[in-house]
Amino acid sequence: MSDRVEAVKKLFTSKSSRVETNKGDTYYQDLFVKCEARLNEMRAQAPANRLDFSDLLEDNGIDRREFMKWASATTAMLMLPPMFTPLIADAVVMMNRAPVIWLELQDCAGNSEALLRADGPKIDEIVLDIISLEYHETLQAASGHQAEKQMEEAMELFKGKYILFVEGSIPMGMNGQYGTIGASGETFHDHLLRCAENAAAVVAVGSCATFGGIPAASPNPTGAVGVMDVVKNKPLINIPACPANPANMVGVILHYVLTGQVPELDSLLRPKFAFGYRIHDNCERRAHFDAGEYVEEWGDAGAQNNFCLYKMGCKGPMTFNNCSIVRYNEGVNWPIGVGRGCIGCSEPDFWDKYAYERPMADAKIKAPTGGVEKSVDEFGLGLLTATAIGIGIHAAASAVAGKKSGECEGESK
Amino acid sequence: MKPGYKKVERMTPIMRIIHWVNVVAIVAAVVSGLYIAHPYYETFISDPALDKYVMAWNRWVHFMTAILVDVTSIWVAYLYVIGDKERPWTKLVPTKRNISEFGEVVLNALTLNRRKRFDTKEMDSFNAVWFALMHLLLIFMLFTGLQLYVHGLASGISSIGSWWPWMLHLVTDWTLFVFGGNMGVRYVHHMTMWLIVVWVACHIYVQIWRTIYWQEGDIAIAFGGSKFVKDDKLD
Ligand code: HEM
Ligand code: SF4
Ligand code: SF4
Repeated sequence: MSDRVEAVKKLFTSKSSRVETNKGDTYYQDLFVKCEARLNEMRAQAPANRLDFSDLLEDNGIDRREFMKWASATTAMLMLPPMFTPLIADAVVMMNRAPVIWLELQDCAGNSEALLRADGPKIDEIVLDIISLEYHETLQAASGHQAEKQMEEAMELFKGKYILFVEGSIPMGMNGQYGTIGASGETFHDHLLRCAENAAAVVAVGSCATFGGIPAASPNPTGAVGVMDVVKNKPLINIPACPANPANMVGVILHYVLTGQVPELDSLLRPKFAFGYRIHDNCERRAHFDAGEYVEEWGDAGAQNNFCLYKMGCKGPMTFNNCSIVRYNEGVNWPIGVGRGCIGCSEPDFWDKYAYERPMADAKIKAPTGGVEKSVDEFGLGLLTATAIGIGIHAAASAVAGKKSGECEGESK
Repeated sequence: MKPGYKKVERMTPIMRIIHWVNVVAIVAAVVSGLYIAHPYYETFISDPALDKYVMAWNRWVHFMTAILVDVTSIWVAYLYVIGDKERPWTKLVPTKRNISEFGEVVLNALTLNRRKRFDTKEMDSFNAVWFALMHLLLIFMLFTGLQLYVHGLASGISSIGSWWPWMLHLVTDWTLFVFGGNMGVRYVHHMTMWLIVVWVACHIYVQIWRTIYWQEGDIAIAFGGSKFVKDDKLD
C-alpha cells in the first residue's frame, strides 16, 4: 500500500521539461563563489595527463578569440549568466583533472565515433580529447588481462572521483549472457555495476545506454535495458540521441567540473539545458508546417522547396533535443536541415514509436494485447464498424418485431 | 398533442445550449483533429504561406473547441449536482433502485420495447451513466490534449504567465507515465476520439429508436426541451 502511495506521489510531483532559466542574482552569486573555490582546489591537483589545452588549441590553429567565443556560447548553453564565461574557460583547461572511465556495452560505438570522426577537431572535440580518459574500452591499446588490470588500477586510484561514461545498452536476457567482456567473461550487467559502484557520477551517452535504444526495439531479443534501469542510488545523467551530440557531452562534463553538481534534469534524467527544447518549435521549416505545405513524396516539388516533413513522418512535434539549435559537427547541419524528418532519437523507445516515415496516425502499432499491428484509425474504424453492425441488427429486429408503445393496451407500468 | 398525453419539461434552455455547444465542439474537434493527425486536403494552394495558414487554422479551431469543451464541462459538473431539472448524480449512485432501473432500461431495448418497467418521464439511470461516460471521455481528452499542448510551452513561459504551463504540467504530466511518453499520449488521444465517435453513434441511435418505439417524442428534448408521456403516469 505505501508503495502505491509513493507511486502516486511520484506521478504528481515528477519533474517536467520546464526550464528555469533565471534563478535570481543571489543564487548565481553563491554559485559563482562555490565554482571559484572548486576551480582553485582543482588547480592545486596534479593533472591526470600531460595534455595541455592551450597547446592543443594552437596546434589546431584556433586562436584565443575564437576560444572565448566558444566559451561564452557554452556558458549560454548551460543556462548560466555571462559572468561565468571566464570560469568556463578556466574549467576547460582543468578538464585534464577529471578522470573518466568509458564503458562500451551493447551498441555500435556510434557515440565514440561521433567524438572521433569530426572533419577536423573543433573545440568540443578538443575538450573531449583532453579529459583524462583513464580507460576506454574501444580506444585503448591494451587488451585482455592487461586492459582489465589497467581498469582496476584506474578505479582504485580515482575511487569515488571518476565519472563513468556508459555507451550501449545492457542485455538482461539469458542471465546477461548476450554480452560478456574480458578474459573472465564478465557479463555487461556485472561489469557495469562493478564500475558504477565507486563512480562519482554515471553518464549514459546515446539512446542505447539511456533507454535501451535500437537493441531494445521490438521484439528486444536480448532483453536490453538502459543504465537507469539497473544503476540505482548514483547521480545519473542521460544524454540520449543517436548519436549523442558531442556539444552536450562537453556541456555535462564542464558543468560537473565547474560546479561539482549534476545539471538540472528533466523527468527522464536528461539535462534541461540540452533537452528542454522541442525540435518543432525551433525548426526552420515550421512556417511551412503552419501553412500546411508538406513534402508528400521524397524529391517532389515540396522537398525541393524545403517544405515541412511532417507527412514524411517527422516527429519533431514530439521530440525534445537541441540539435535544431546547436546542430551537429560544430553547427554544420542537422537532420531536418538536410531534408530528412526527425525520428525522435532522444526519446524513449524511439525505434518503435518514432522512427517511421509517416505520421503517428498512419503507423501500424501493436495492440496492447500484442498480436496484429494496425494503425489507430484502423482500430477505430473497426470499432465503429462493429458498432454499426450492432445498431443495424437491433434496428432491423425492431423494424420486424419491435412493439410501439400505445399500439396495444395492457402494457405494464 | 395526442389525447391522453401530457407534456413534461426535461431540459432547460441552459442545458440545451450546453448540449449543442458540445455537439458543435466535438464535430469540430474530430474534423480538425483528423487534419492535425494527417493533413489530408490540398496543400499546394498557390498563396503565400501567411495567407493560407491551413494547419495553423486547424490547430486554432482544435484549441477553441478544447476551450468550449473545457467551459461546458465545468457547467455540466455544476448541473450534475445542483441543476434544478434533472439531477443526474442522484441517478448515478449505485443504489438498489438505480441498479434495477439500469437493468430494466437494458431489457427494454433487448425485448424491443416489449417490457417497459421504469418511469420514462425523467432521465433514467442508464442514460445518466451513459452521459457520465461521455463527460469522462471528454475530460480524458482534456488531460491528454493539454499534455500535447504543453509540449509547445517548453520555455516555461506563456503570454498569460508562467503559472499556466506550470499548472498544465502539474495536472497532466501523469499521462506521460501512464501511457508511455509523448507518443503514447498522442496515441491514446487519437484512440479516444474513436471511442467518442462510437459513443455519438450509439447515442443518436438510442434517441431515434426511443422516439419511434416509445412514441413519446424523446428526440424533442434536445430541441424544444420537453417530451410527452401518458397522462396516467403523471398521477
Ligand atoms: C472531442 C474532443 C477531441 C477530439 C475528438 C480530439 C481529436 C484529436 C486528434 C484526432 C488529434 C490528432 C492526434 C494524432 O496526431 O494522431 C488531436 C491532436 C491534438 N489535440 Fe485533440 N481532440 C479533442 C480534444 C482536445 C482537447 C480538449 C485538447 C486540449 C487542449 C486537445 C488538444 C490537442 C493537441 C494539443 C493536439 C496536437 C496538436 C499538434 O501537435 O499540433 N484536443 N486531437
Ligand atoms: S519539419 Fe518536423 S520539426 Fe520541422 S516544422 Fe515540420 S514537423 Fe515540425
Ligand atoms: S532531428 Fe530528431 S532524430 Fe535527428 S538527431 Fe535531432 S532529435 Fe535525433
